[in-house]
Amino acid sequence: MTLEVKELTGGYGQVAVLKKETFTVESGQVVGLIGLNGAGKSTTIKHIIGLLTPRGGQILIDGISLHDDVEKYRKKIAYVPEMPILYPELTLREHIDLTIMAYGLDHDKTWENANKLLKTFRLDNKLDWFPQNFSKGMKQKVMIVCAFMTDASLFIIDEPFTGLDPLAVNDLLNIVEAKKKAGCSVLMSTHILATVQNHADKFVLINQGQVRADGTLDELKKKFNMQADTNLDDIYIKMSHEDL
Amino acid sequence: MTDLWQKRLRRHQLNQFKYLRLIFNDNFVLAFIVLIGALGFWYSNLLGTIHHQLVLGKPIVILILFLAVQIGGIATLLEDPDSTFLLVKEKQFYRYFKAAKNYSVFIPIVTLALVNFLLSAFASRAAGLKIIDIVLIAIGLIVFKLGFLNVNFMALYGENHLGSLDLKLFSNILLVVSLIVSTYFFSATMIVVALVYYLFLNVRVKPLETSGRLRWEYAIATENQRMFRIKRFYNLFTDVPGVNSKIKRRKWLDGLFNFIKPKKRNTYLFLFARGFVRNNEYIGLFLRLTIIQAIMLCLIDSFYISLIVEMLFIYLVGFQLKPYFKEVMQNLMQRLYPISGKEKIASFTKLSTVILTIQWIISAFAILYKFGMSTNSLIIIIAGLAVLVFVNYFYMPRQLKKYLD
Repeated sequence: MTLEVKELTGGYGQVAVLKKETFTVESGQVVGLIGLNGAGKSTTIKHIIGLLTPRGGQILIDGISLHDDVEKYRKKIAYVPEMPILYPELTLREHIDLTIMAYGLDHDKTWENANKLLKTFRLDNKLDWFPQNFSKGMKQKVMIVCAFMTDASLFIIDEPFTGLDPLAVNDLLNIVEAKKKAGCSVLMSTHILATVQNHADKFVLINQGQVRADGTLDELKKKFNMQADTNLDDIYIKMSHEDL
Repeated sequence: MTDLWQKRLRRHQLNQFKYLRLIFNDNFVLAFIVLIGALGFWYSNLLGTIHHQLVLGKPIVILILFLAVQIGGIATLLEDPDSTFLLVKEKQFYRYFKAAKNYSVFIPIVTLALVNFLLSAFASRAAGLKIIDIVLIAIGLIVFKLGFLNVNFMALYGENHLGSLDLKLFSNILLVVSLIVSTYFFSATMIVVALVYYLFLNVRVKPLETSGRLRWEYAIATENQRMFRIKRFYNLFTDVPGVNSKIKRRKWLDGLFNFIKPKKRNTYLFLFARGFVRNNEYIGLFLRLTIIQAIMLCLIDSFYISLIVEMLFIYLVGFQLKPYFKEVMQNLMQRLYPISGKEKIASFTKLSTVILTIQWIISAFAILYKFGMSTNSLIIIIAGLAVLVFVNYFYMPRQLKKYLD
């Protein structure tokens, strides 16, 4: 799986939020998308999953764009949004069934995956609950289960760590690690830099709708002329001071 | 504080106008005008069949007037943040509520005048009341209602008791007794009782200005419920943001979904069917309209009116299902499914076909009950079927398309 974002320009309505973004996510890579509030992280993600249409540039997954083959493109992606989005009329069990139907997944095999994930997140005894009975963190976990039980090859997670308890954060990181080992790719946007620093292979730093820099931590240190013991926090703060 | 009231009132009225304009814009209103016409026709037919006083005449008049007095309370226009931000102003709220009460007299007065006016024809024929009696009772009821609003006012302060007696209960008993006395014996009773009641409550309200302790939670909850009722009413005609419908599990109906095989092309049918059955708003609407239709069809003698009722109600149920499709389409996750818009619409039409067919079968029974096996029955039933086909195969697909993106 390779995700290529080439010269992506776009945004909501007439305002161009993103200006010629270019970066790639390779097979088996975990990439952290990092930037200030309003830098364009979520907008970038919305373009990749196809909720927004680019005004310029290209987004390719394994060489195909959304335009080439909608179904094929969409089946490759699993997405966990920043705010959980659930159907108020469906139980947790039915959310899983619906996802299986929508993506045409193998029923038994997917349920096997789902059960493991449900157990990990301690949701296995809540299969008949409605979303209105779940707390925000539990809803977030439901979204994670529904995304990671699929056979997608690119997992896109928007701000996964906020709202989750520390145990769940740890569980999520394990799941991400397992997917990575299986050759899948993960793109996640976050502000929790300490966590992402230890678990991502590569970082894409976005500032004002543009890719300011990308690469591994060592490459970033060189690009920002920072010392060897600097961490992602220092780089991030240096970047945010640049436009002042 | 009265400034605050004025500001909120203006904003409230602007909002109301916005919704009213949306309602009166739609072809749905035409349908309702026809319906009101049909009811009016039915009422005048009913009056034509009454030639002498009925035993039940007076009790019916009493019941309707009693219910009419219950309509309308104080619109306080309180908002949730008030209990935090305006807590310090608690003492001044008396004047705010006073202004609110003065504004809130309008709807009850109009309602009572209108109900009395419409009821007068029935009251004079079936209950043997003279016009002067009806006018006296009507004025008495309006004065009584003005007093009754003070009970609502006092409830905001938790002072709606007379010793251990609940004032609302006391007022309603007093109202029923005076209605009975005025319709059966002496019609001026209502005015006299109402005046005494009104003056008594006005005296009781006064001390709240200095010594009242406002029940914030109750006051805000009451106002929120009132707003919700208004919005739910508007929501019948147009989309109102912030009206969340209740979801019930209804596990006993799960068997219905067994007909939907877990295949990819049934994804949306799976979703829509469950949503319809569990969302009180849509199933409630379907049941209400179907039952009203069946009852009307059982009662109405006129062929043409039955024909209109049959066609109109099937159209209405179909029309009212549209917002549900829109609601689901606004869910971001479903937009990512590898499923085309065409399939989404096809699934929804499948569901609406099932729903309207159930309604059509029930109404057909009502028609057969009223008109028997006759050409008239057949024409009405076929007309119903024609509307069903029109809604599902022509109207719906075109209308739903605009909600896809």
